[in-house]
Amino acid sequence: MSQISIQIKNLSKRLGPNQALAGITASFEPALLYGLIGPDGAGKTTLMRILMGLLFPDSGECAYLDNHQTVAFERVRSSIAYMPQQQSLYPDLSVAEHLEFFRDLYLISGKVFQKRRAELLHLTRMEPFQDRPAGKLSGGMYKKLGLMCALLQSPDVVLLDEPTNGVDPISRREFWDLLYRLIRQKILVIMSTAYMDEAERCSRVLVLDEGKIIAAGEPLSVLKQEKAGNFEELFLQRQKAGRR
Amino acid sequence: MSAGFRFSRAWSIARKEVRHVRRDPFTLATALGLPILLVVFFGYAIDFNVKDIHMIAADRDNTRASREWLKNFTSSRFFKLEPADPGQDPQSALDTEQAKGVIIIEPGFGNDLGAGRPAEVQILLDGADNSTTGIISGYLIGIQQAAWKKISSGPRVQPLSLQTRFLFNQEQNSRWFVVSGLVVVVIGVLSILLTALTVAREWETGSMELLLSTPVRPLEIIFGKLAPYLGLVLVSVVMVYLVARIQFGLPFMGNHLLFLAGILLFLCLCLAQGLLISVITRQQQLAMQLSFISGLLPTLLLSGFIFPIESMPPFFQYLTYILAPRWFMVISRGLFLKGVGLLELAQPLFMLLLLNLIMMGLALKRFKKDLEP
Amino acid sequence: MRKQAWAVEVKELTIRFGDFTAVDNISFAVKPGEIFGFLGANGAGKTTTIRTLCGLLVPTSGSARVAGLDFKSGVQALKSKVGYMSQRFTLYNDLTISENMAFAASLRKLKPGVLQSRTRELFKFVEFDYPVKTLVKNLPGGIKQQLSLAASLLHNPEIVFLDEPTAGVSPVIRNKFWALIRKLARAGKTMFVTTHYLQEAEECNRIALMREGRIIALDTPQRLKTQAFPEPLIEINPEVGGSRQWVEKLKLDPRIGCIQPYGRRYHVLIQNQAGWKKVARTMPKSLKTRPIQPSLEDVFIRLVEGGRT
Ligand SMILES: Nc1ncnc2c1ncn2[C@@H]1O[C@H](COP(=O)(O)OP(=O)(O)OP(=O)(O)O)[C@@H](O)[C@H]1O
Ligand SMILES: [Mg+2]
Repeated sequence: MSQISIQIKNLSKRLGPNQALAGITASFEPALLYGLIGPDGAGKTTLMRILMGLLFPDSGECAYLDNHQTVAFERVRSSIAYMPQQQSLYPDLSVAEHLEFFRDLYLISGKVFQKRRAELLHLTRMEPFQDRPAGKLSGGMYKKLGLMCALLQSPDVVLLDEPTNGVDPISRREFWDLLYRLIRQKILVIMSTAYMDEAERCSRVLVLDEGKIIAAGEPLSVLKQEKAGNFEELFLQRQKAGRR
Repeated sequence: MSAGFRFSRAWSIARKEVRHVRRDPFTLATALGLPILLVVFFGYAIDFNVKDIHMIAADRDNTRASREWLKNFTSSRFFKLEPADPGQDPQSALDTEQAKGVIIIEPGFGNDLGAGRPAEVQILLDGADNSTTGIISGYLIGIQQAAWKKISSGPRVQPLSLQTRFLFNQEQNSRWFVVSGLVVVVIGVLSILLTALTVAREWETGSMELLLSTPVRPLEIIFGKLAPYLGLVLVSVVMVYLVARIQFGLPFMGNHLLFLAGILLFLCLCLAQGLLISVITRQQQLAMQLSFISGLLPTLLLSGFIFPIESMPPFFQYLTYILAPRWFMVISRGLFLKGVGLLELAQPLFMLLLLNLIMMGLALKRFKKDLEP
Repeated sequence: MRKQAWAVEVKELTIRFGDFTAVDNISFAVKPGEIFGFLGANGAGKTTTIRTLCGLLVPTSGSARVAGLDFKSGVQALKSKVGYMSQRFTLYNDLTISENMAFAASLRKLKPGVLQSRTRELFKFVEFDYPVKTLVKNLPGGIKQQLSLAASLLHNPEIVFLDEPTAGVSPVIRNKFWALIRKLARAGKTMFVTTHYLQEAEECNRIALMREGRIIALDTPQRLKTQAFPEPLIEINPEVGGSRQWVEKLKLDPRIGCIQPYGRRYHVLIQNQAGWKKVARTMPKSLKTRPIQPSLEDVFIRLVEGGRT
């Protein structure tokens, strides 16, 4: 069983007119859940895409380690699960067809698939809607389908870009139970979120703003260090202080 | 784990694509409707029959040479030559649509010819009748070359260059001529358009981001995306073939296997072209425009489908050498109407193969596994 | 003329897609100038209801009056009175801000002169200060949402339907959004809002809670809380990490009704006061407890789940 950690050093990336990332250094260890939070345009999606190998940094490096041994990205690529922020499903394919499609792409065997699929459908309460095309799902159901597609394989790293937007509070809780289960299986989870209560539930948070990390660490210590009661407050305080 | 090409992954992409096609009435209607529309349009609506084209000849030189030159027209079955009314400006015959063309030979034609100077003949064509002008001018060039050889000193050569072009279409059935070229148009337009749209759609809707994050290899995506359209376009080709044979009584003189080889080569090339367009544009609308321009124009205008290549300006003649439709047109017509064999088709087949390699290489090179602009 | 009584009045509305019933015989009414929260689980039928009220879907049965108009008199008149901000992003990414506004205006048949002044006014109102020549695709997500809001307000509608306007928006901009919603309501507009951030929903005058196509509760936030929670609620605030084992233990304890995580904290429903006192004594000091008012999220979970853990 491989345990993958990721180390990034001084990552910078320019996208069109914007400096999306301006020198980011961090390390991500297995069995932990990292939360990326920050205002719009802070660079969360760009960081996710670089970690997934969908964008290349202008400078800096991004190293993947398997049990402390550096490995090439192509070696780990297939064990990274990724859920993009933007809509990325096929409106004319049904829930069941999506799951089958990703089963084939990940070369998941029939038995494993059946189990996994039943699990995910139950967890997301989507069992009654298996035959509904993605284009006719409600906003939250669509998100849940995206999540299912990403979590169908058994990955070593899970990258989720705002997975819970538009997901209702009950499903969000169930989703978090799933995340905790993942990290108990020594999986590295990195997610971005706009829900500040979720940020508190992460093992570590990285607060990003304008392409830089402005605070990082365990949620409690970050809050203490920034003298805020919760993350909502943290951002409102920063805004008041004129730092956006 | 994900190192090699996995047929199962390519297959799953293909299966997904088939589902898209089955559920999208537009794609299906285009793929199956367009060929029928084209066949009906070109087969029935447009009359390309250029027999007995009315021409007016004003022979102001009236020498042996000029008469000899004009005889080429009178002996041809395509033209009906009438002497011009002396009191009338011959050009007015065009305006009144009495004739499709006017030939004017100024005094001195024979003298010039005799003295070895360039001799001039003026030919006026009715440009308003677009569909036949190209054909007429093609004939004229053939006739002229033949005539030149005849009049200018030297051995009397048979006007071969004219005859050969139509030997294979002995009944002078221009409908056959056009319909036998339709296969080229159908493949050229459909396959480029359909593939360009399907890959561009994945980019536009964002599903490419998810797809690229899976272990799927670019080659598997390409293979899986193209295979269903290969099948779909083949069905269209078979439809055109059947309509041509049954409805228009088109003969098929050549070898079907050779035909299939040509079709596959040309089809793969067009699919690669559509792919290239879509990976460059990443937008459906732009992809659609580009594929119409790069698909329709060469197949309709620069393939010899309607306008003979020999009658094009030299630049365009050379241009057709690097355009696949030209080569496949030779194959298609050659097999339908002439019954040529592998030997005669070696050059076009080779050119198709060569262009294929280039296009595939380009498409593969441009196909990226990342989201960089 | 008598002032109209309701901004939105829905009676026995049912909407089916094929044989699937998305909205099942719901009735409710919204007062003019009210901030009306429309909450519910995913797929409960919120968006479907809103789309119907905006005249984009035809109801299967039942009736609705919006801004005093029913659908029988045609949806055209309706469209000039309601603004709709869709859950999906509906602006054009490849157009600039001003082009998008012009397009939205042309759909609503606004005169170019009006558009200019109205846009300026609106942008000032929503405190939108991006250069209008910026391509929309280069805007951050929250700013796009702000622009969508502005576009839906262009024709100065009486009733504004906002379908998850703050989904994925950062806290600062979310605050701004709600300040705006309050401002619009004060200006007399009826604000019909859906959201999954239940903290925001506290700002609503009244809330309708939907589950599987039905409205299962409709009241002010305060009354919803007291009705849903006759029992006391305790918050546990772990001051250090490593409290999870404890919480897992509490979950299994029969004396405790249910325990829900809220960020780092937990809300514990007490069913047996005496039992809880015993449990509390055994808990480590680092777990601070205090009685609290239920939040709307507690209410949501309890009512929508039907009390199940
Ligand atoms: N065009 C359609 N055809 C079939 N079913 C549909 C269609 N549109 C919506 N539905 C179904 O109707 C139900 C209600 O959907 P709706 O979008 O109204 O939910 P919602 O309450 O807005 O949920 P969310 O919070 O996830 O946005 C869902 O089960 C959805 O799949
Ligand atoms: Mg909705």
